[in-house]
Amino acid sequence: MCYTARMQGRRSRWFSLTFKVDFLLIAALAIGIGAIMAAFAISLVGFRDQLTTQSLKRQGDDHFVAVETLMISGNAPEAVGYFSKVNLTSAATSITLYRRDGTRAFSDNSTIERVDRNLKKERFQLRDRPPQAAAPMPTPRFKEAAGLPPQELFFRDDQGFVFAGGTAYFRAYRPLINLPKCTVCHGADHTVRGVIDIRSDVTPVVKAQALTIAGAGAGFLAVVSVLVLIIGSFLRRVVLTPVQSIGRLCASVTAGDFSGKVAVRNNDEIGALALTVNTMVGGLHERFELTKYVSASTLDSLKESPEPKRVARTLVFTDVRGFTSYTEHHTPEQVVDVLNRLLEKQSAIIQDNGGDIDKFVGDAVVAVFSGADAPRSACSAALQIIRLCAGSPREFDGLAVGIGVSTGSVIHGMIGSARRADFTVIGDSVNVASRLCGIAKGMQIIVSDSTRETAGAGFLFKGPYSVKLKGKKEPARVWLLQSQSQEVSP
Amino acid sequence: MTRFPARGAAFRAALISLVAACGLLAGCGAVKAPVYATPDYHSWKRTTDIVLDYPIPGHQDRFRIPRMNDVGFTVRPSMENGKPRWNFPEGTIIVKEVYQTTKPAAGEQPIQLTIMVKAPRDPHSQGGWLWITRDLPNGKEAVFMGNFCITCHANANEKQPYGDGNPTEEFRDYVYFVPGEGATGTSLRPPGRL
Repeated sequence: MCYTARMQGRRSRWFSLTFKVDFLLIAALAIGIGAIMAAFAISLVGFRDQLTTQSLKRQGDDHFVAVETLMISGNAPEAVGYFSKVNLTSAATSITLYRRDGTRAFSDNSTIERVDRNLKKERFQLRDRPPQAAAPMPTPRFKEAAGLPPQELFFRDDQGFVFAGGTAYFRAYRPLINLPKCTVCHGADHTVRGVIDIRSDVTPVVKAQALTIAGAGAGFLAVVSVLVLIIGSFLRRVVLTPVQSIGRLCASVTAGDFSGKVAVRNNDEIGALALTVNTMVGGLHERFELTKYVSASTLDSLKESPEPKRVARTLVFTDVRGFTSYTEHHTPEQVVDVLNRLLEKQSAIIQDNGGDIDKFVGDAVVAVFSGADAPRSACSAALQIIRLCAGSPREFDGLAVGIGVSTGSVIHGMIGSARRADFTVIGDSVNVASRLCGIAKGMQIIVSDSTRETAGAGFLFKGPYSVKLKGKKEPARVWLLQSQSQEVSP
Repeated sequence: MTRFPARGAAFRAALISLVAACGLLAGCGAVKAPVYATPDYHSWKRTTDIVLDYPIPGHQDRFRIPRMNDVGFTVRPSMENGKPRWNFPEGTIIVKEVYQTTKPAAGEQPIQLTIMVKAPRDPHSQGGWLWITRDLPNGKEAVFMGNFCITCHANANEKQPYGDGNPTEEFRDYVYFVPGEGATGTSLRPPGRL
């Protein structure tokens, strides 16, 4: 299972490191620069709005003073002229005075009639009112301005979308209060005499604001995109790609491929990590190769515990007969070639039968079988080795092996010095197997009595024979293993 | 989906602590709004003996009774360009009771209180005064932020139709009835004016 698949198995959702970095980068830049751009655009738009509002307030104040001055002196015609002149002066700004009921001031003689009535004399002459240009009708907010308490209002009054031919107006309603000094003429039964409506065309301002926001947005996108590309490319080159290469190398090593290496491009922490990983993989490769020269039981013991222990084992010793003489009559290359071939074949047979090569001693092989079926497996392996030699005499240049097999208790542990040690077995059974191998002739398998008893059915033994083994006071009872029936063959 | 209950609990605890701290700070920082028309304002002297039952802009034809605290009655006019100039001392409070009708019945309660407080250092003051209305149902007083009040009261410094009409247009500090003619207090008009 590859690294990615394993990670997918561990997490419900898989997001690659590249995705996370890109996401974080875009989010950070978008939030950071976006906030600045938004603040800039908002402040700019707000500043323009503030300027426009202040300008309209100032205009409102000016017109209010002018109207008040003209009204107090009773010069309504001058007030009408004043409004007309102001409206002619600027096409973008219009000023209209409404009565509190929303009708346009000076449009009829009702105010004059009311003043004359309050003064109880004909203070002002009724006038012929000329037709006036159409004025913008007051908006629904007019009632707020003319209500109690009267309010100054500043608001946007857009008519259509400015980029589709519409017009944006900024409007100010400035109530004209019925001041106590005005009540003599106009009466005291109302608070608001009218409302000055100043309407300013702010379409160019609104367009400029929209363009400013659009420009800020475009600038934001451009800056974020460029920064994401630059920083993302840098991070990918410096961090992500090396980390991904390290991940791929680790996955390859896990799968048994030690041939890969991470390219070390930068002299920084990532480069040092890549270098360390390369060194580590090299070391792992060496150790992996070394395991070929160490018995499987040794590796297992190292995994479990290096402490010595007494265990039941079946020992198989094989030795080439007449090998010394063979070496004297053949070249070293021929000797090594045929010996390696023979040892290779024996090793394969032993391992196929569940045995473990403990060591090679010259032309001899020491093999250890463990488990409940150890005697049976050892006997099977020994018979296969003999059949191998007998079946291919030319392959092994006529060389034959003698085999000794013994079963019993042995000590398994680290044997040697602190500088050089082997994980091997020692004990009486080891010695017996060695002695049996020593007395076996070519193509003979001599097994101990204990091996025969525990090997189970299916083997044909000849004997017993009583042999005197070196180091033993009493003669040992041994058997010649001759064959194995098909039904019990592995 | 994997959850992190410990981390979530810690986050919730931190959030609750933050909210609690903010609430505590807000509570500590909240300043109780002062009440200017104190319950004893009924005992304050009226600023004028004139029966204010005639209609005026802003209060229509509603009956009105203006009262002023003792601080206000300590005002003394100064002379400027040969005319008296009135500057009410800081702390002056004028409460104007506004009733529903022109002739309220005995014991009838006002529907509104409008209050002037001389507080020239207050950032919300206009013309040196805070212009306040009291919402009688809940008793809360709020500073009126518009310029409607001062616009009308600015007329007190000019010729106007109330009281003596201020014919010489002396500065009366936005108060229509200064202590003197027509007021319950002792006449404080300087001798030169009379």
